[in-house]
Amino acid sequence: MKNAKVRTRALLLTGLLPATTLLYAAALPPGHAHGKPAGGAAKSAAMADPKSVAAGFGHDVLPLVRTYCVGCHTGKGASAGIDLSIAKDASAVLKDRDSWDRVAQNIASGHMPPKGSPAPSGPQREALVTWVQNTTTAADCKLKDPGHVTLRRLNRAEYNNTVRDLCGVDIHPADAFPNDDVGYGFDNIGDVLSISPLLMEKYIAVAGKVAHAAFQNPDELLPPILFEPPRLTYLNQGSRAGDHAVLAALNAEAGCDYTFPVAADYLLRAVAYQSQAGPDSAIMQIKLDDKEIAVQKVFSGPRDPKPVDIHISVPAGRHHFSVVFTNPFHDDSTTGTRQNRNRDRKLNIKALAIVGPLRGPNALSPLAKQLGTIPSDPAARSAIARKFLADFVRRAYRRPATKEDVDKLVHYADLAQGQGETFQQGVEYAMTAAMCSPKFLFRIETDIPGVTNAVRTTAKTPGKSGLKTAGLKADAGKFFLNDYALASRLSYFLWSTMPDEELFNLAAKGRLQDPLVLTAQAKRMLKDPRSRALSDNFAGQWLQLRSLDSVSPDPQRFTGFDDGLRQDMKTETEMFFQAIVREDRSILDFLDARYTFLNEPLAKHYGIAGVQGGDFRRVTLTGDQRGGILTQASLLTVTSNPTRTSPVKRGKWVMENLLGTPLPPAPPGVPPLSDDNKGPLVGTLRQRMEQHRANPACATCHARMDPIGFGLENYDAVGKWRVADGDTPVDASGVLPDGSKFSGPAQLKQVLMRKQTLFVHCLADKLMTYALGRGLERTDRCNLDDIVKSTQKDGDRFSALVAAIVQSHPFREQRRDKGE
Amino acid sequence: MSRESLSRRTFLRGLGTAMALPMLDAMLPQGALAQAAGKTRVNRMAFIFIPNGVNVPLWTPTTEGGLQLSPTLASMKNVKNKVSVLTGLAQHNAFALGDGGGDHARSTATWLTGCHPRKTDGADIRTGISVDQLAAERVGRKTPFASLELGCERGAQSGSCDTGYSCAYSSSISWRGPSTPNAHEVDPRAVFERLFGNSSPSETAESRARRQGLKRSVLDFVLDDANQLKKQLGTKDQSKLDEYFTGVREIENRLARVEKINADPSLGSKMPAGIPQGMGEHIRLLCDMMTLAFQADLTRICTFMIANDGSNRSYKDLGVSEGHHDMSHHGGDPYKLDQVAKINKFHAEQVAYFLEKLDSIHEPDGTLLDNSMIVYGAGISDGNRHNHDNLPILLAGGGAGTLKQQGQHLRFAQDTPLNNLFLSLLDRMGVHAESIGDSTGRLTTLI
Repeated sequence: MKNAKVRTRALLLTGLLPATTLLYAAALPPGHAHGKPAGGAAKSAAMADPKSVAAGFGHDVLPLVRTYCVGCHTGKGASAGIDLSIAKDASAVLKDRDSWDRVAQNIASGHMPPKGSPAPSGPQREALVTWVQNTTTAADCKLKDPGHVTLRRLNRAEYNNTVRDLCGVDIHPADAFPNDDVGYGFDNIGDVLSISPLLMEKYIAVAGKVAHAAFQNPDELLPPILFEPPRLTYLNQGSRAGDHAVLAALNAEAGCDYTFPVAADYLLRAVAYQSQAGPDSAIMQIKLDDKEIAVQKVFSGPRDPKPVDIHISVPAGRHHFSVVFTNPFHDDSTTGTRQNRNRDRKLNIKALAIVGPLRGPNALSPLAKQLGTIPSDPAARSAIARKFLADFVRRAYRRPATKEDVDKLVHYADLAQGQGETFQQGVEYAMTAAMCSPKFLFRIETDIPGVTNAVRTTAKTPGKSGLKTAGLKADAGKFFLNDYALASRLSYFLWSTMPDEELFNLAAKGRLQDPLVLTAQAKRMLKDPRSRALSDNFAGQWLQLRSLDSVSPDPQRFTGFDDGLRQDMKTETEMFFQAIVREDRSILDFLDARYTFLNEPLAKHYGIAGVQGGDFRRVTLTGDQRGGILTQASLLTVTSNPTRTSPVKRGKWVMENLLGTPLPPAPPGVPPLSDDNKGPLVGTLRQRMEQHRANPACATCHARMDPIGFGLENYDAVGKWRVADGDTPVDASGVLPDGSKFSGPAQLKQVLMRKQTLFVHCLADKLMTYALGRGLERTDRCNLDDIVKSTQKDGDRFSALVAAIVQSHPFREQRRDKGE
Repeated sequence: MSRESLSRRTFLRGLGTAMALPMLDAMLPQGALAQAAGKTRVNRMAFIFIPNGVNVPLWTPTTEGGLQLSPTLASMKNVKNKVSVLTGLAQHNAFALGDGGGDHARSTATWLTGCHPRKTDGADIRTGISVDQLAAERVGRKTPFASLELGCERGAQSGSCDTGYSCAYSSSISWRGPSTPNAHEVDPRAVFERLFGNSSPSETAESRARRQGLKRSVLDFVLDDANQLKKQLGTKDQSKLDEYFTGVREIENRLARVEKINADPSLGSKMPAGIPQGMGEHIRLLCDMMTLAFQADLTRICTFMIANDGSNRSYKDLGVSEGHHDMSHHGGDPYKLDQVAKINKFHAEQVAYFLEKLDSIHEPDGTLLDNSMIVYGAGISDGNRHNHDNLPILLAGGGAGTLKQQGQHLRFAQDTPLNNLFLSLLDRMGVHAESIGDSTGRLTTLI
């Protein structure tokens, strides 16, 4: 019983996904499946008249159920507790949509009827499944159920960004938190985000640090811009050896180019150590644009490389910062017994770094400025603390502060002072307490009477007859979010951080309920640099960029791959994603585009000429080897094994993340893997995989995954173009179960472009999951269908997709939790 | 004091109480302290998990009875008499049981819980309370930390971890409640700071007391907020807030326990620098932290995931450039089986280091190893078959005098629940449980 329940859940989850007909194709003979999303069909059913619905039941469902199902699924002891004998007409299906969804899923996947029992034909199965899908979806659409997002705590990225904007300190304190668990492919899912005692401890420890840093001189907190050996450029036989640069020859040089944003003081830093030979220590000359700015003896050895800092004023613009070795020495004596002693003196560089622009020893942090000069009069001091904390807590709790909130904090600051702490320390303690409060750590969306819901009485929303007041008369089961909650949903969706003052101001006026304002804000936010969070957090997970950090291609086979190239791969995809977001381009660019972003090492990796230097720039692509994310080395590498490509992984990735057609659970009767223990398969990768597919139970899925992966075989396991794999010429041809044929990645992309509605659906599904912080449910299907339509109507632009999501019911409303 | 009765201003109280508490300036390892005072021997329990199963023939000793170390476990030679290999145990609930793929996720979520995890990518995650946490609920009250969770790998950062299962399953063996996995710490330095604090030695007792006091009043402050909030929320959201309450109370309890110690309990050991490059060193450093925590009686319960299940890291230092998971699907290929064996051997060597270290520390009644029970093994037997029976399990330590006949290879009847072992261990921790998962009784041959 329990297992049946579990399985249902899993199947329902798969059922949520748009391309249901494709999904079903696994169990259907080829020719019966087409890439038409269920959504479109569902819509027509929604509009169909009750008569045709009833006729469909009588024609497509009832006869099959009577023939193949009721034998077991009857009465009290019905199998899996599903009694199908009571279904006499369509209304029975509508009443028990959950059960019927299970029926459809099980028939589609081939789990039912069980193996060995008489079963309907492929077309019969498809007709039944389509009717059930359309009918239940149509009924669900009428509910306009926004779903319930479980109370969400800030995840690591959100915590980092929020304290950055709240306290003006960009110190990434949450990097020390345990990882947020992932659900539905993302790490911002309310149901999955939990608080362990370990995390609670870290909240308390970190909040104190952040509160303290908020008043520190901002120069002390500037993160160094690091240039590690793979990113350095070398002259005069300077070179890289593993994790450090080696300068041994006279005037050997390692340097980096950096565009200084403004004319200001900067710290130029070289982290260096020497390998001593002869009597003297290594001498390091430090240069800016080939002019010597300092000369320094390096005493430290490899165990404790020391930073050498040069404080210097630099004009804005691009400059070359370098270090030069000026006193080489070779010990050619034959005396001495010490083994392994250094015969050559060397200067070794762990990293160059630039810190700045510096604002000087008297610079004040934003919060220090806000707190201002501290008067000696206790009453005046108390008033200052109150004013400061009232504003702080408004921003920390992302809504107007209540008197009680402020009283508590002021009291707490006083208390700390009473214990002998300074005034500022008292304020820091109060800030610490606020940042440990659940009101900060969780995103509370329920109303506080008189505080957040007051504005909604004036809020407007489009109704059938023009604008009408929103929220107040929402039925008992759901409610419109108040403006502040809506502002937070927007800011955490698009920026992974708290709302800015513009959003707060609009919320205070109740303006965010206006769909036009909402859309305008979303567009403004996409153009803002903070939308980079979408690339870090959404794309980082959707396109698996985060996994790139942990892949380890075999260095013997892939000599060109190092940490520098790894970072370059990541940068390309990030910049590509950001370009689509900020320039508001068509999301179909993800599938194929005539541009990308490259620097010299990556361009060389791709065999593209004419790109010089370490800086990334937009490159117009010619030829058909590259274009779109499928051809980017980042993705090609994360979907490979350390020593070879994996067509299965690549194919699976495309199906799950571009087409939204994840594979169904393995059909019943797949033999356990031990059965193929007879010995290793032989031949080329393709031949071995084809042998594997000879097993019909494996074939249904692999016939869909593998061809896509084979189409990408021109890219090796680190995304380099190839025409041969070892001695074997690459065969990048494939045929999909629907008959689409292709040879090579360019043609594969054309096939995918023909399935673009599936792609838009898939991306909408992922982005919606990310925006809401919950897995999508069956009732979200028609919302998704609407979002896809409106995106396509607006030229598939990224902002159109985002606008459609933020205006949807699930984004603006919330189903009440039980007992609320 | 019941938290629910907290008034809005109770947070004031913490400060005063802390100030009044006397400090102890002497420090002995607490376990030793307890034992010296003539109390019962302290017993500890740790579970060390490895992913992707093992090369079964090379792991399993060929003879039963007196332990003949297998090639994989050869490194245990110095502690051979304090180690037993248990063969034939099964974690039946990790099998699909109709749920299809996802054996890696199930193997972790079931390993210590004995429960069949609900197949979900996020909503309604559910497995069971793990055996370490059952013990921590009871024994944990006696030490500053109820339990310690460690691992070498952070949880997955993107994508799906295992067909239809949330990543919470595949990265957690320790479950505080059926729906709440215990996050593990990966950075040895952070573990050290957590165990021993990072206050500067020059800090005065007065300033430390003030800090503690203010920390307590932060807890009162936030609990008050949480109570206020709780009234506004529905049941599902309240359960999220409950995790918050648990976290705060845990710290509160700890502060109370730590106050009794409050001198440097780190026994003069050095703080690790951070996560080292090599995996061997990483494992050993975390083992050092477990050793310290046991030695200073900061906790008696640990779990340690050497890697998350399904881990595909390569072990280049061992000459294994392919991913572990890829190799574990060996398909009978001798090359791949050999690679798997190399990894198994490497992990066992690190654990041998840990056991020897425990054995080098003397307490009044034997070594630290004699006063511990260390379970080491996997939730999958053969990585190629994904089977959860005949699991590779090793039990080390003397259980504070409760395991007198170690140095055995015990073969149990096919499909004997692993949970029977856990029940037997809980008994030895003084924690009585009727059953765990599909347990059918105790392992009576374990003496």
